[in-house]
Amino acid sequence: MEPILKIENLDKVYPDGTVALSNINFNVYPGEFVVVIGPSGAGKSTLLRCMNRLVEPTNGNVIFKDKKINKANSKQVKQIRREIGMVFQNFNLIDRLTVLNNVLHGRLGYTNTIKGSLGIFSKKDITEAEEILARVGLSKQKYKRADELSGGQMQRVGISRALSQRPRLILADEPIASLDPASSKNIMDHIYNICTEDKITAIVNLHQVEVAIKYATRIIGIQNGEVIFDGQPSQLTDKVIDEIYHDRRPPLVHAQ
Amino acid sequence: MSELEKSSDNIYSLNRNEDNNEMIVKPKKDFFIKGVLIFGCLFFLFSLYELNIDYSNLLEGTVAFFIMLGDMFPPNISEWAYVLPAAIESLQVAILGTVIAVVISLVLAFLAAENLAPNKWVARIVKSFATLMRVIPTIIWALIFIVAVGLGPLPGVLAIAVHSLGMLIKVFAQSVEEMDGGKIEALKASGAGSVQIIAQGVIPTVLTALMAWTILRLEIDIGESTILGLVGAGGIGWELMRAMRSYDFNTALFITMVIFVMIFSVEMLSNRLKLKV
Amino acid sequence: MHNKGKRVMELEEIRDIRQRKRVQTILITLLVVGLTIWSALGTDFSVYEVFSGLGLISNFVFIDLLPPDVSTSGSLLGAILETLYMGFVGMVVGAMIALVLSFLAAGTTTPHPIIQVVVRAFTSIIRNIPGLIWALILVASYGIGVTVGTLSLILGSVGFLTRVFADTLEEIDTGKIEALNATGSSYLQVLAQGVFPQFIPGFVAWSLYNLELNIRASTIIGMVGGGGIGFAIQKGIKLFQYKEVSMAIILVLVLILSTEFLTSKIRERII
Repeated sequence: MEPILKIENLDKVYPDGTVALSNINFNVYPGEFVVVIGPSGAGKSTLLRCMNRLVEPTNGNVIFKDKKINKANSKQVKQIRREIGMVFQNFNLIDRLTVLNNVLHGRLGYTNTIKGSLGIFSKKDITEAEEILARVGLSKQKYKRADELSGGQMQRVGISRALSQRPRLILADEPIASLDPASSKNIMDHIYNICTEDKITAIVNLHQVEVAIKYATRIIGIQNGEVIFDGQPSQLTDKVIDEIYHDRRPPLVHAQ
Repeated sequence: MSELEKSSDNIYSLNRNEDNNEMIVKPKKDFFIKGVLIFGCLFFLFSLYELNIDYSNLLEGTVAFFIMLGDMFPPNISEWAYVLPAAIESLQVAILGTVIAVVISLVLAFLAAENLAPNKWVARIVKSFATLMRVIPTIIWALIFIVAVGLGPLPGVLAIAVHSLGMLIKVFAQSVEEMDGGKIEALKASGAGSVQIIAQGVIPTVLTALMAWTILRLEIDIGESTILGLVGAGGIGWELMRAMRSYDFNTALFITMVIFVMIFSVEMLSNRLKLKV
Repeated sequence: MHNKGKRVMELEEIRDIRQRKRVQTILITLLVVGLTIWSALGTDFSVYEVFSGLGLISNFVFIDLLPPDVSTSGSLLGAILETLYMGFVGMVVGAMIALVLSFLAAGTTTPHPIIQVVVRAFTSIIRNIPGLIWALILVASYGIGVTVGTLSLILGSVGFLTRVFADTLEEIDTGKIEALNATGSSYLQVLAQGVFPQFIPGFVAWSLYNLELNIRASTIIGMVGGGGIGFAIQKGIKLFQYKEVSMAIILVLVLILSTEFLTSKIRERII
């Protein structure tokens, strides 16, 4: 099977000299549910953001469906980004807009600039956004303002926004780090079930090793910007975990 | 892990129940904002119509303005011996006016603050006087004082002092009123008199706010003092008026540049101070 | 032993800081007092003159100014409305121009850093020259009238609003902008759908505040030939018609207070 995403010799050095990533290599195949684990500051976020070029890689290639993202011009980058959905730790919804409008933001890349700017979307897009909201159980909230929702609900809107892009790949950056345990499970279930049902490939950054083992089909452990583990969850021994976290096992769920 | 397991297992069945409920109605948009916007647009058009601006004059004037801008260069700095002392006088008028206003307002603000005033009526009377002083622009105060005490920097100082006093009483009193009531109560409970309460409880608490307002007011007053000369209350504004009246645009540009430097450096300085406070 | 030594050190440090603070306070006080005395000398300020002037001032206020001549209110009404129109038009046009400029001047939204510096410098020049002085300069090109008043109010609004709008834009949550970028939205779409909704409360609040500033400024802009009530006040004083002047001042009072009242009500409702 052809990989959907290829990472080749990826380096990232920030202008202040911090080496965030060095020589990362791996392929992701369609249908995989990859979880990236590692301590804070290991470079997980940077790695994810290099994949859709929210962060500019210093060296190496990121190839999505045979297209080199790092070589694409700004128009091509936008076209590639449309096919990659992203879910954020802080949800990053636009507070003053309605839930539905936030979901429709996933269609902006497919909408003409002026219409999109004015918030005019096609009937089809709206129906589809409503269907997605029904799927994550937020039909009743669709006309509410985004800032009226609870954290778990906000993240479901964040997922819906990514889904409305009809993505081939979903990147989730610490999607449950700002949530309570019950919402965390709910959100992880949603991401996992939707990706499996819709055959969407997923790359998820997580802090919690236990959660990673529960959902992942493959785990990548990174530390100090380098991949030090890449394999099945069953291969992730305590020794490896200790190595990844330097004996600093993170708590199951971060206290808020 | 166990914590995660506890919550409901099948989220999808739960959601279906949610969806079975009554139809969701699209909430009505808030008509207030739309109303204000529509009224604003209409009032804007009406204002434009009523102002009856002569658009051909606007065009000619703009051309004339740019020609004048060209004429202004290079600035004529030969008059510096008159201009710089006038600039310093403006600065002095602003400083003195602000200091007088701060000193007096420190006393009156406590009478105007409802949580400290001897009674409500005192607070109200002081506040309405403050409003009167604040609402009448500095330059109108200057005109009034010029009629009373003659031309020169004195009416300028008084005008700035009176207008600033109005604003400072208002904001100082607000700072005092926002103070945590418990602190005053604690001092009262210890048997402190009202002057002691102010000196030991109120002033230390609101000091930072008072300093910030004072700096802001000085910044505004330096701007105001540069224009007071336009009506004859001393300072650099008078020099600019004279230069413009005699069509000496090169000198006018120099004076404008001096005014810009004055206000700009005060803005920079107060930004610095604000960071420190 | 070791601990004790450390504690003594700490105590000494605290004493040191206290002393430095006290010295600082004394220096600042001396500086303020010195500046005040310097200013008083420079402006020939004498308390004696103020108190002897007090009689003159009260005479002037109670005999010449008061009571206001209500019969002139009809003719002054036109002037005060003109003041209101100038202030409002100045705010609307100024806010529109500032809206565009602020997107260029804010670090988060500017298309290019050089554009940012140029726009910031340009608006800083406009802002740091008082409106009345703009009016005085503009009168030479446009002649006496409301055009000058309106234009200088527009300039003042652009200078002020561009700065505060740009500051508001720079405080916007960049994560949300990132989220929209990640969906493949274009620059304009990100501005309209991501930045603008976050910007609206600040936009409304600052524009309303600017309206208050404009109304204040437009009451005096007439003194140098910008039309409105300021012209009437200036004229009244030159012709010694003080009772008309006091009527005009009362109208100014009413206009400013009602603007403040209205804007605060609108602000409460919208934000």
